[in-house]
Amino acid sequence: MVKLKIDNRQITATEGATILEAARAAGIAIPAMCNNSDSGHFASCMVCLVSERNSGSMLPACSAMAGGGMDIITSDPAIVESRKMALELLLSEHIGDCEGPCRVSCPAGMDIPLMNTFLAAGMTDKALETVMNHIAFPSVLGRICPAPCEGACHRKGIDAPVAVCALKRFAGDNGKRTFTPSPARQGRVAIVGAGIAGLSAAYYLRLKGISCELFDSSPLPGGALRYLAGEGKLDRKVLEEEISFILGSGVQFHPGTTVDKSRFTELALGYDAVVVATGNFSEDISHWGLTNNGKQVTVDKQSLQTSIANVFAAGNVNRSTRLAVRSAGQGREAACSIARMLEGGEPAGQRRFNSRVGRLRQSEHATFMKEASAVARLEPSNGRGYSPGEAASEAARCMHCECLKPEGCTLRDLAGRYGASQRRFGYEERKTIKKNSEHDLLTHEPGKCIKCGICVRLSAGNGEKPGLAYLGRGYDVEIAVPFGESISGAIKKSGALLAQSCPTGALSLKAGKIIKI
Amino acid sequence: MEGHDNDIYAEIDKIISLSGKDKSAVIPILQSIQNRYNYLPREALKRVCSISDITPAEITGVASFYSQFRFEPAGRHIVRVCTGTACHVKGAMLVREAIARHMNLAPGASTDEKRLFTLENVACLGCCTLAPVVQIDDITYGHVSARMAAGVMKDFLSRGSSGKKPKGVIVPGGDLQGEIRVGLGSCCIASGSNEIKEAVEESVMRDGINVNIKQVGCVGMCHQVPLVEVVTEDNGATQTKLYAKVSPPDITSIVRHHFSPPNLLTRIKNSITRLAENIQSDDHWEGIERYSIDVREKQVASFLGNQLPIATRHRGVSDPLDIDDYIDRGGFAGLNRALTMEPGAIITAVRESGLRGRGGAGFPAGVKWETTASQPGGRKILICNGDEGDPGAFMDRMLLESYPFRVIEGMTIAARAIGAREGIFYIRAEYPLAVRRIARAAEICSERGLLGDDIGGSGMSFTVTIKEGAGAFVCGEETALIESIEGRRGFPRPRPPFPAVRGLWGMPTLVNNTETFAMVPYILDQGGEKFAAIGTPGSTGTKVFALAGKIRRGGLIEVPMGISINEIVEEIGGGIAGGKKFKAVQIGGPSGGCIPHYLGDMAVDFGSLIGAGAMMGSGGLVVLDSGDCMVDMARYFLSFTQSESCGKCTFCRVGTRRMLNILDRLCSGKAAAGELEELEKLSHQVKKGSLCGLGRTAPNPVLSTLKYFRDEYQAHLEGRCPTGKCKDLITYYIDDECIGCTICSQQCPVEAIGFRPHEKHDIDTSRCTKCDICREACPAGAVKIR
Repeated sequence: MVKLKIDNRQITATEGATILEAARAAGIAIPAMCNNSDSGHFASCMVCLVSERNSGSMLPACSAMAGGGMDIITSDPAIVESRKMALELLLSEHIGDCEGPCRVSCPAGMDIPLMNTFLAAGMTDKALETVMNHIAFPSVLGRICPAPCEGACHRKGIDAPVAVCALKRFAGDNGKRTFTPSPARQGRVAIVGAGIAGLSAAYYLRLKGISCELFDSSPLPGGALRYLAGEGKLDRKVLEEEISFILGSGVQFHPGTTVDKSRFTELALGYDAVVVATGNFSEDISHWGLTNNGKQVTVDKQSLQTSIANVFAAGNVNRSTRLAVRSAGQGREAACSIARMLEGGEPAGQRRFNSRVGRLRQSEHATFMKEASAVARLEPSNGRGYSPGEAASEAARCMHCECLKPEGCTLRDLAGRYGASQRRFGYEERKTIKKNSEHDLLTHEPGKCIKCGICVRLSAGNGEKPGLAYLGRGYDVEIAVPFGESISGAIKKSGALLAQSCPTGALSLKAGKIIKI
Repeated sequence: MEGHDNDIYAEIDKIISLSGKDKSAVIPILQSIQNRYNYLPREALKRVCSISDITPAEITGVASFYSQFRFEPAGRHIVRVCTGTACHVKGAMLVREAIARHMNLAPGASTDEKRLFTLENVACLGCCTLAPVVQIDDITYGHVSARMAAGVMKDFLSRGSSGKKPKGVIVPGGDLQGEIRVGLGSCCIASGSNEIKEAVEESVMRDGINVNIKQVGCVGMCHQVPLVEVVTEDNGATQTKLYAKVSPPDITSIVRHHFSPPNLLTRIKNSITRLAENIQSDDHWEGIERYSIDVREKQVASFLGNQLPIATRHRGVSDPLDIDDYIDRGGFAGLNRALTMEPGAIITAVRESGLRGRGGAGFPAGVKWETTASQPGGRKILICNGDEGDPGAFMDRMLLESYPFRVIEGMTIAARAIGAREGIFYIRAEYPLAVRRIARAAEICSERGLLGDDIGGSGMSFTVTIKEGAGAFVCGEETALIESIEGRRGFPRPRPPFPAVRGLWGMPTLVNNTETFAMVPYILDQGGEKFAAIGTPGSTGTKVFALAGKIRRGGLIEVPMGISINEIVEEIGGGIAGGKKFKAVQIGGPSGGCIPHYLGDMAVDFGSLIGAGAMMGSGGLVVLDSGDCMVDMARYFLSFTQSESCGKCTFCRVGTRRMLNILDRLCSGKAAAGELEELEKLSHQVKKGSLCGLGRTAPNPVLSTLKYFRDEYQAHLEGRCPTGKCKDLITYYIDDECIGCTICSQQCPVEAIGFRPHEKHDIDTSRCTKCDICREACPAGAVKIR
């Protein structure tokens, strides 16, 4: 038995235990990435650094043995800085997009690649469900969205972007809508303005089981969308259907109800939360007591919280962009912030880290096209949407640039938690992206490897012949199959284990997404 | 093809039958394969896997880790450009570029199209005083400049074609030091003067002296043949001396009497072909006393005066493999005493001596010995770390080559102290002579009962074996060294457990540096107190340094700890050569730092160096003058450690690379504001967050230069290199001193200077590659750098 202090607590650890094991046994969390209990300790990533007070030195908790009399601190500003820098160094050579660039550029954060996967497989209902996880107006936005996603699509540099907007329309027009809210929760929310932002907020609040009331001075809901319909730019029937689906989710709508300063004050006091989604900013709003600059209400960018803690502002009222998809996304974001707040947490959600590769190089096109349909982009003919076959064919053009392991990637999680910047050490041109998909089960992306060697040790430990090896030295070290042979022959039994044990997306299961669902 | 495979199979089977099938044999097996094929053929490696315990992952992992191994066939001749510190500061990279240009190498390639030459960098050839040095196969060329690169290659080939293959050092260029005339009249020839002439040529070449060797006809003194006449210039006056009845063995002494090699200790560096131990001594002058020569030149006296040889005791006096001579001069007295002592008493003596490890960190040797000795279990292992890899350090090699018995004696004493029966020499593969010497010395010791069973009748058993490293600086780190002996990639292990507790094969293992062991016989013989009386209280005894750089006299020196930097630079080194000013001294190589001239009074000992941001390291000591760029120095060392990082820890693997990125940006004028601060932050984190000594000390050259020469960094940030060393920040131009001779134009490899006789020349900067050839070639000194 070894007696030591961890975070000022006296701990008794078993002989031979690492500091990480001792801390975990005592319920103290230390982040770790390259650590894998089945492959032995190795100490490479250094995100588990802790400091030892007596010697003043830093130690990798995953490999350093707990020693008698040690006085370990698991977190302080210096440790946080070191861990953050370790992550930033790893990210500086990490090549890959966590999310597809389409999704990153979508103001509503819609999971476009997943929608494409379902559409390509003919699973229209699942595709619509995917869209509606972020967008309450698939058919409307499928017609009017300027589609920033298509501008960011990597395929744009090869031939033409995937027709995401038209695909979304197809999903909205053809998928079966279902509404399965969470169990009812405490809390009442007032929403001022029944435009796309307010309606979106209402839909997602209802989905989370929170009751809400929607106020609008107009007799009909829809806000600015109605003008578009009036101008013939939007099929009125489509708009009515989507609005009624939202209102049908249990939203109490108060038409013709003007909210002025005094009414607003009542709402702010009487309801647990208020969403200001009036579209236009007005002279009147500037006197509601919300911090503003005379043109827009000031909000926290992440949570959309205003200067009054239980008031959130979504859509053009906090910045006039006239971008419907942004308003839709913000309505949802406000709903999520409120849900978190009502649960007693911080309204702002954890901002997820996103690795980006930027533009693809010519030499990388073939790698990406390997799994995509090579057909040319198909525009839906004359105002009508795609046929199911056309949608499947267009969706199959998606190259799936997104990481196969967007969840369960320790590097991404820790980078988010420590606020690491990928660009801090971006002094060198990135290496070429390689994706090896020849294995039935696995995709190997060496550019995402942190060289921890878990796979090398596990493949040897599981009797793989030849398994994987460390090749080269130093900065150029890489993990590959010995003698440059194929990975299919190298990994026969432990593929799933290796993918699961890899702390990043360097080794992932090919069918990761579908299996997860 | 099948026949070819069968041949390979037979070869591999033979190799395996000699080295064994065990995983730990992988490095010797790879070395044998490369010796046989000059690279590692794939089929050979696969064959190894199929008939041994070694897996494909292990063999490819190990082979690709060590830089000794090649996967492509190399050219017929290997051109090695020394990139050691001394060569670097004297323009090795310009030489390398010039050779690559001459070889017409494609970018990234190292072998020319005809597979005649393969160009490689080598960390240090240990000829620091001849810098820059290029080695082609076994011929070493010293003082090579970019301009001479092509000539050197041609010279090499011309030697090959004439069937003559002299080994030695050739120093072209420089000032002619004089002339040696060998009589080749018929009487002379009859008396054997052809042999004399060859001896003169060989001697001159070996010592790197630049003289004109002239065959002269009969001088009329035929009764005195063979004759050698030496002509020297002394302050403008020509002096001649005639030697009569000379025999070839006399030649070296005669030549050395008249001509100092570019500096005295050049000869030591020549140990590539001939050994250090033969020089530094008086005995070579003894042989020619009959010519009544005044041997004791002033500079010899001052060079040797401040030194105190312990590890290098009796230097130059004896044949390294003459055990009787070693014994006659007091060798094995320390061991004999130790054999009468209890192990504990030996450790006490070492503790009392205050001896600290000479490998770098300076850990007290006595403590390490005691820890190993106190471990339970019968099997303990002793390792002599001779994996010296610093650019600019060759102390261990010299000790192993010249004093093999002393090192073996020190190890045997340690073995007795800790109770080890097996010792291992881990020696860099680049030191083949050291390996041969130690192997032979160990054989001799066994024959004399000084190794093996019942040593000296004491009942103690101790044997030594040799493991050759394979080119990985990190294997100088004790845990990586152990991994390497066990046949793996040199990834350091976390400590604790320390090797003294759990080391090689899990056994308690004592790892000490070669120089540390070389100090031990003295301590046992003379007593710990006597050793402790030398040096300073915290750093006792002496330290061997490789002194090089911009001083007049470089070489391998052994001085008492605590000697001041100024004493080393001014008195031993004879001050700065070439009229420039003493700027700084780089101590400790890639783990050390730069100490500015104004701290020249500082004592050289473990504590002071650490305090000043440097480190003893293994003992490289490179003197820098006012023409040396400190940012470039930092970049140089960092590019070394960066390329030698094993790649295990993030901070070292990626962090040193990012540091190098910033230094590259500084040296090319691309760095932006704030990057100095970023460099500093990175440096501190790399130190803190690396597992082994390599990463933990790699930032020292950067931090120490940032500390003392921040203004130079600032200048680079503004796009200026104050010393004009950083290529991207300088421009070559020709000023009015130009005499219109067109030499520069003729020599420019990229036609950047128009051929306009008798007119002032101009450099087309858009074509100029800054190879420095024109500046070197200009007889009027008109080519300048801005």
